[in-house]
Amino acid sequence: MFYREAGQFKTTYASDMAVLPILQDRIGLAVILLIGFVGIPLLGGNFFLQTVMIPFLVFSLAAIGLNILTGYTGLLSLGSGAFMGVGAYACYKLTTIYPGVNIVIWIVASGFFAAAIGVVFGLPSLRIKGFYLIVATLAAQFFLQWSFVRIPWLYNYNASGAIEVPQRLFAGIPLTGANATPVTRYLVLLGIVTFLTWIASNLVHGRIGRSWMAVRDMDIAAELMGIRLLPAKLLAFAVSSFYCGVAGACMMFLWYGGGEANDAFNINQSFTILFMVIIGGLGSLIGSFLGAAFISILPTALKFGVPALGIAIPGTVAEHATYILLGALIIFFLIVEPHGLARLWQIGKQKLRMWPFPY
Amino acid sequence: MSALAEMLQGEVARAAAETLLTVENVSLTFGGVRALSDISFDIRKGEIRAIIGPNGAGKTSMLNCINGFYHPRSGRITFKGKTRQRMRPYEAASQGIARTFQNVALFKGMTTLDNILTGRTLKMNRNFFWQLLRHGPAMREEIEHRIYCEDIIDFLEIEHIRKTPVGKLPYGLQKRVELGRALAMQPDLLLLDEPMAGMNLEEKEDMCRFILDVNRHFRTTIALIEHDMGVVMDISDRVVVLEYGHKIADGTPDEVKADQRVIDAYLGVSH
Ligand SMILES: Nc1ncnc2c1ncn2[C@@H]1O[C@H](COP(=O)(O)OP(=O)(O)O)[C@@H](O)[C@H]1O
Ligand SMILES: [Mg+2]
Repeated sequence: MFYREAGQFKTTYASDMAVLPILQDRIGLAVILLIGFVGIPLLGGNFFLQTVMIPFLVFSLAAIGLNILTGYTGLLSLGSGAFMGVGAYACYKLTTIYPGVNIVIWIVASGFFAAAIGVVFGLPSLRIKGFYLIVATLAAQFFLQWSFVRIPWLYNYNASGAIEVPQRLFAGIPLTGANATPVTRYLVLLGIVTFLTWIASNLVHGRIGRSWMAVRDMDIAAELMGIRLLPAKLLAFAVSSFYCGVAGACMMFLWYGGGEANDAFNINQSFTILFMVIIGGLGSLIGSFLGAAFISILPTALKFGVPALGIAIPGTVAEHATYILLGALIIFFLIVEPHGLARLWQIGKQKLRMWPFPY
Repeated sequence: MSALAEMLQGEVARAAAETLLTVENVSLTFGGVRALSDISFDIRKGEIRAIIGPNGAGKTSMLNCINGFYHPRSGRITFKGKTRQRMRPYEAASQGIARTFQNVALFKGMTTLDNILTGRTLKMNRNFFWQLLRHGPAMREEIEHRIYCEDIIDFLEIEHIRKTPVGKLPYGLQKRVELGRALAMQPDLLLLDEPMAGMNLEEKEDMCRFILDVNRHFRTTIALIEHDMGVVMDISDRVVVLEYGHKIADGTPDEVKADQRVIDAYLGVSH
């Protein structure tokens, strides 16, 4: 009754083509942004920010990246973890070579390095699809991970063999390093994620998004519309890797505060992001957030939330329960609802539109 | 004065270049199978040209050669005065050739509107950086093309399914959306591969009307493969008949109907 288009006549195509044509959706977005930028920093404690919100945002960005490639363009990849690594190491090199430049600029710029590497590993996609492309991206995963560990120049010859995130200030406030507060890091991250989500939404709703989906749905017909397959696929690899790269840089600089590739950018990470995209919904930006929220928050919720309700479960049980639940859900979504949580969200909205009348 | 001269010149040029597409001695083989043997015919500007023949005669293969999916083993294809060697389908698209497929080849996960808008891809020039912003010129371009596509949607009477993912539509409507997507390309030559296959009588009549309207109002040249002989004889200007990869007749519907080889090969057999 209260959520619907009724009375909101779209008098121009411009308003009908807006990403959120319904007023209530726009209000909803404004409320979410207000909660994100004001409510959570004020009310959420450091623990909440560090273990829930920051991981959620980092994974959302990576999931958007993979969704552009897999959900929108139909190209499967198991290399997202490695492309995140490219971003993290690029950012580390950039900020140690040019410490004077604002770290936020380097975090975003590191995405371009990931994009370039992504294009190189995307080249086989013209000839191979499906299973064989997965194998090619898997090769990228192992090769890059190997490079991160074996090329000491990448981690500045640190004895630890890991990235050690230096302190970087902005207007006197530490943004990275041990002295950066979770609130600062969270706000910087939220700013980056909001901006890049807006950009991604512009891309997928326009000509380029349509050409990606055309390639995904029927490549011969896409070619007949004048879409050249290789450039379209490589652009998807570039944009996707850009998002993963920025996510990797954010992970190191705004979340972990340091670490090495074998922990942070391994094949498990690639799988985690793929699961987020599957559970959240292939070909949906909202789905990327839902999937990231679900998978990144689930372990924390089981570990801390369930005991908080007064039900005692040991840590190991919580961990195993996480895996069992995830496995079951992935199978469920693959079989029953390939469009993931995003579709359930849409169905929910549809119901809300009808409410309180069942038809 | 010069404008008039230009117009006259254009008129003269048009009369001379009446032929839009020429196919000369085209042969195509798959392994040992000769799908097309030494086929020659032409398509004139503004006409509806039918290609008929029994199943497996090579009709679809012929269209695939014209728009670059297949590369003939020998022979030449000349479109708008330009003879080409090997050409990719996207090049055919940019030269003004659009087509629909025998088994609908829509973008199933996209809405009707997005499918038709995808047909405008080549007409959209705003670069990647404008696309990132989706404001200003990029948005103006989107709107301009949206308006164009809305006209097609009106014309094909598919307003009600504008926002429906095409995978959910019944077959007849899918064929109509596919025609819309091809029309959105504003082609000089429109290739239709069995646009009425699997349709009921009413849907067929609608489709016939659309094809004739496209031809008359937009002056689009059409090459049409169709099994329904009644339809072919009604709407086409000239007919090519293929059998086992050979051309066995070529002419007006009346000439073709009277041809003994055609009667033996095709018309005699009830379909
Ligand atoms: N891609 C292909 N590979 C092998 N044989 C093909 C291929 N395409 C068509 N053919 C063969 O070419 C012949 C003509 O097919 P086609 O052009 O589809 O006929 P029509 O459209 O007239 O029914 C058939 O014998 C078919 O088996
Ligand atoms: Mg055929």
